[in-house]
Amino acid sequence: MAAELEERKALDKGEARCPSAESTQEIIAKDKVAAPGWVCSESYRFMGDEDISTDRYIDPKFAKEEMDKLWTRTWQFACREEHIPEVGDYHVYDIGAYSFIITRVAKNEVRAYFNACLHRGTKLRASGTEGRASEFKCSFHGWSWNVDGTNKGIVCEWDFPHVDRKKLTLPQARVELLGGFVFINMDPDAPPLAEYLGPEFKQHIDAWKLEDRYITVHVSKRFNCNWKLAIEAFLEAYHVIVTHPQVAVSNGDANSQYDVYGEHVNRFISPLGVLSPHLKGKYTEEDILAQFTLGDSSALGSSKRTLGKGDTARQVMADMLRGMFEKATNTDLSGVSDSELLDCYSYTLFPNCFLFPGISLPMVYRFRPDPRDHRWCIYEVLFLRPVPKDGKRPEPAEVTHLADNQSFVEAPGMDPGFGAILDQDTDNLFLQQEGLEASAKHGLTLGNYQEIRVRHFEKAVEKYLAMEPKRPDRERLRQR
Amino acid sequence: MTEEQVFSRVLSVAEVQPGTKKAVDVNGQSILICHSNDRLFAVSNICSHAHEKLECGRMSRGWIACPIHGARFDLATGRAMNPPAKQPIATFPVRVVEDWIEVCVGNRVAP
Repeated sequence: MAAELEERKALDKGEARCPSAESTQEIIAKDKVAAPGWVCSESYRFMGDEDISTDRYIDPKFAKEEMDKLWTRTWQFACREEHIPEVGDYHVYDIGAYSFIITRVAKNEVRAYFNACLHRGTKLRASGTEGRASEFKCSFHGWSWNVDGTNKGIVCEWDFPHVDRKKLTLPQARVELLGGFVFINMDPDAPPLAEYLGPEFKQHIDAWKLEDRYITVHVSKRFNCNWKLAIEAFLEAYHVIVTHPQVAVSNGDANSQYDVYGEHVNRFISPLGVLSPHLKGKYTEEDILAQFTLGDSSALGSSKRTLGKGDTARQVMADMLRGMFEKATNTDLSGVSDSELLDCYSYTLFPNCFLFPGISLPMVYRFRPDPRDHRWCIYEVLFLRPVPKDGKRPEPAEVTHLADNQSFVEAPGMDPGFGAILDQDTDNLFLQQEGLEASAKHGLTLGNYQEIRVRHFEKAVEKYLAMEPKRPDRERLRQR
Repeated sequence: MTEEQVFSRVLSVAEVQPGTKKAVDVNGQSILICHSNDRLFAVSNICSHAHEKLECGRMSRGWIACPIHGARFDLATGRAMNPPAKQPIATFPVRVVEDWIEVCVGNRVAP
């Protein structure tokens, strides 16, 4: 054992991998239905091993700087296109104190107006709302805007000879559409979204066709921790054996794969249907099959799981899932690989979005700071299922807001097994927030491989925090 | 004396397809017949906030939003779901009889 450790230390930094276990790629290579290129690639790079300073999680000044430097410059997931299917439909997205009316102005054009009347500043639509507008009329004095952002009218215009209505268009953030998601950015100087995310990731997301999915479950909950701690609870599978012991029997946790792409995207692939390297020799293939857990066990029904001679639990689960998901969701999965059916792919799009493009775990997460308190954040989980074969797109699920003391299990549509996993993930968060504030050690120590996504994410935070503040400038945002 | 519900025949079922709505006038009241979440609702067509008409508003998943200021109402209960409205809108019993939609906007006292 000691010799093995010495051997690992002798490797270049970041090159060590879980010893005596198959790699994620080796596991996937044995599958019957082969995985696509975006699965079968690796993109790890060593990014340093110094501690991550803790002031970023516990200092309210840091949170204020994030709002002035980071959130005003980055591309953010604001809503799905399915939230605003018709011209005039709108959805209000807030980040910190900023608020946007995301509205469809033409079949293929979506805009994001700063949600404030240009008279005395009243929000034109309340936060957290959606609907269809014939006009955006202020509920205070009635100044009004057309859906295209031009001014529609000023009550008692004779009293405002100093206001040029031609210049009174609503300021806009930039908008780009990708995979059915509406992304916005307040910075007129930011790179286009494709450049921001990078060419390699663009190939991945284009392959997923997430525009052909719809929201079946949408749950929102507040946590009492800094928003970055909440994100970082989901960036590695290193915690699985301790935090989620019930799933480790069928999860390759310590041999999960980690990748980073450019500055804003990272991912892991966590193979399912295989035994955790921590539990080697303690369980059989039958045990793995029996204990396999996935995001939506309702799709599995009550079917029996049996292992034939020479079968692996992973292959049996893949075959079962293919048939069951096809039936449950009325979709054609014949061209989908075993890995896409089984495995957990988790991608982070800096700063607020997680995408899980797999079939059994088809989630999207969104994280935002609470504008009133750096020690609180808002977390949302959405399940995106394929639109049925008949092409009729169901309406997206309404968001359920859980109270602080409620379990995810209580959310309508949430699979109980997955709800329990989310509870386990997030029950640690307040302890970490309070522990960081209590600690005599002022840095987080990270594993070189399994925690590379945490370091990659924090490097991006540091990049933006090193910049000058950038507050939205009406003159530059008036008409794009 | 007993009170009995009086239903008025307003539209044929075919006139209010799923996901659509139609305003009708019953005894001088503007009523919105809504087909959402696979059922019919009858609610007041007038927003409780600034008395604008709701009929051009977006209807989805059992709610309708005022097109002018954005207040949303639960079609089943009339409850105001978000600002700027606080007061509910009226809801009315609705039924289907022989492919006709019928709404009850008031009771009659029967001898």
